[in-house]
Amino acid sequence: MAPKPSLVSVVDDDESMREALPDLLRQFGFAAEAFASAEAFLASEFVSKTSCLLLDVAMPGMSGPDLQQELTRRRQKIPIVFITAYGDTSVLRRLLARGAVRCLVKPFSDAALLDAVGAALT
Amino acid sequence: MAAQPVAPAGGWIGFGAPNGDDADAGAAATDLTNILDTVEVPIVVLRRDFTIAGFNKATADEFRLSRSDVGRAPRDNSRLAGLPSLEEQCREVMASGVAARADFRDGDRWFVVRISPYANGERQVSGTVLTFTNVTAFRASIDQVIYERECTKAILNAVPDPLAVLSPDQRIQSGNRAFYSMFFELASLRTRLKGMLAGGRAFDPVEVDQVIPGEGRRRLILHAHPLALPGHPERRVLLTFEDITARRQAEAANDLRAIAERKDGLRRSEAFLAEAQRLSLTGSFSWRVSTDEITWSDQLYRIFEFEPGMPVTLELIGTRVHPEDMPLLGDRLERARDAGTDFEHEHRLQMPDRSIKYLHMVAHGTRDEDGRLEYIGAVQDVTARRLSEQALGKAQSELAHVARVSALSTLTASIAHEVNQPLSGIITNASTCLRMLAADPPDLDGARETARRAIRDGNRASEVIARVRTLFTKKELATESVDLNGATREVTALLMGELQRNRVLLQLELAQDLPTVTGDRIQLQQVILNLVRNASDAMATVDDRPRQLLIRTEDEDGDGVRVSVRDAGIGVDPQNMTKLLDAFYTTKRDGMGIGLSVSRSIIERHHGRLWAEPNDGPGATFLFSIPVSQRP
Repeated sequence: MAPKPSLVSVVDDDESMREALPDLLRQFGFAAEAFASAEAFLASEFVSKTSCLLLDVAMPGMSGPDLQQELTRRRQKIPIVFITAYGDTSVLRRLLARGAVRCLVKPFSDAALLDAVGAALT
Repeated sequence: MAAQPVAPAGGWIGFGAPNGDDADAGAAATDLTNILDTVEVPIVVLRRDFTIAGFNKATADEFRLSRSDVGRAPRDNSRLAGLPSLEEQCREVMASGVAARADFRDGDRWFVVRISPYANGERQVSGTVLTFTNVTAFRASIDQVIYERECTKAILNAVPDPLAVLSPDQRIQSGNRAFYSMFFELASLRTRLKGMLAGGRAFDPVEVDQVIPGEGRRRLILHAHPLALPGHPERRVLLTFEDITARRQAEAANDLRAIAERKDGLRRSEAFLAEAQRLSLTGSFSWRVSTDEITWSDQLYRIFEFEPGMPVTLELIGTRVHPEDMPLLGDRLERARDAGTDFEHEHRLQMPDRSIKYLHMVAHGTRDEDGRLEYIGAVQDVTARRLSEQALGKAQSELAHVARVSALSTLTASIAHEVNQPLSGIITNASTCLRMLAADPPDLDGARETARRAIRDGNRASEVIARVRTLFTKKELATESVDLNGATREVTALLMGELQRNRVLLQLELAQDLPTVTGDRIQLQQVILNLVRNASDAMATVDDRPRQLLIRTEDEDGDGVRVSVRDAGIGVDPQNMTKLLDAFYTTKRDGMGIGLSVSRSIIERHHGRLWAEPNDGPGATFLFSIPVSQRP
């Protein structure tokens, strides 16, 4: 039996991303789940099963960095790849400093996505 | 003696000649005749009917009477005709038996005529006897005396010292004018007293200065009260004197004190004013326009750093005024010469050490009764304020620039976010689609679904762009009737201070009876403001010519209204004329190009046109034209 593919969870308030990203991730051979908010992800059964988190920065309610802090507090060491539509470099630097694996600025290529997820899983 | 009884020529005439019947009587008559003819006094006897009965030799000599005059009236004699009302007087003398006197002038001789009754033996008055006493010499001596007395009087009256002659009982007999004026100008006093005595008129007290021996000069008030004493029909006057010297001196001292206090108060308020001027760095001046006579307060001398009291002329002031500000100030003063209305002006001074002072002048025009114009005003040294304002203005404009940039970046970020979301979707979906098609076997349903999503996201992106464009361009256009003259005046009033600071000489040429246009007043004013600011900025580096800015409104033959803003600035390269109005094109650091393109879009939304033209001389003209309101 083939090893169970790694689960990549997507948390983004943008519906178009929630639709498109899981399909692409599955094309890469990963398992994928999408959540509309940080709260929905935390409430789900997939937190502990997630190998990589694709996390939007700006969301209504709990933001991406808020979720990052909450996971640290819960000692859930999930590698995080931030995805953001704002290209503010100072914000990106801060996120990387807090332990994010990569920051992808929308729009990003499929290669960049694969590279970032690959880096998160190693 | 063997005398021949011959009557001498002109001898006693008219009386019975001695006859031989009565030798004694004849001798008596002869005696009498001799006596009468010896008397040098002319004697004439008149009968009851006033005819001449006889006369002596003196009469014949003096008045040329002859024998033929006997029996005639004296008035028939040319000399005696001068005796006034002789017959009347003779009649009276005959009636009363009392002698009378009359003066008679014969040529330059004077006689006193005595008219005496002529009584016959029965003491019956039957005529008159006239005797003529020559008083010519006597009268001459009296005239001489009168003349000499008048001369003496004139001399005495001219003497300033009072002189008086006293009678033995100490009464004043006579005095010179000095004497009378010393005693209360007695003549006028007498008149007043006479008026009071005659009609009971009230007597106003008279105040006089009097030198009293041993007392010195005293001030006296003279009162007069009419007195009616019982048993004395004539009125009398009680005169009283009141010495008010001490009171007057006290009053004078009070007056002096009051004057001193007033002077002191004045000095104090002058000192306050000077101190206030010094503290507020404000000097005051007056300028008589017709004579160019200028007076300055001390503080103004300090501000201009001239020696206090130096005569101030416009030329002298000109030596301190900053050369760049001279044309504007000169223009302002020239206009003030005619206008006579209040004005304000700001200009700079360049001091000998090259330092700069900023002055704010406020002047108020007044005219005297002859219509001559004078300005009274104040000049404040506002250097400190201007410098801090400039610093503040610089800080503000930097802040505004930062705000503009940050607002723009926020806006850009938000636009980028809005656009990047669907772009990410498109790219991700397209990537997925390619991979699904490349799979073996290809996932055609999945590819179709992702391609459909990519199209959907593409539409989303285009909606975002449309929304941004709407955000920037689509504004509700208020439509009202706009008077572009009024709109222009409001804008220039708003910019007056800024233009003056930038030393721009603004000139308005607004057309009369300009038709109104339909549109948004505020937006049109923004366009005018934008053009005026641009013009002012374009002249910021111009120092070799006046920074002249002309705003003109014109009626385009009833079809449209044209507003032009002409500057004398650096001008515009003709090649850039059209590019100038394109969005985001700018020759300036702070990106006013956007202002011009916004201006153009505002004008175009008013169905008008905005363009630029190079001037014949230096600078450029920006113009816009808007159709006039449709008349109903």
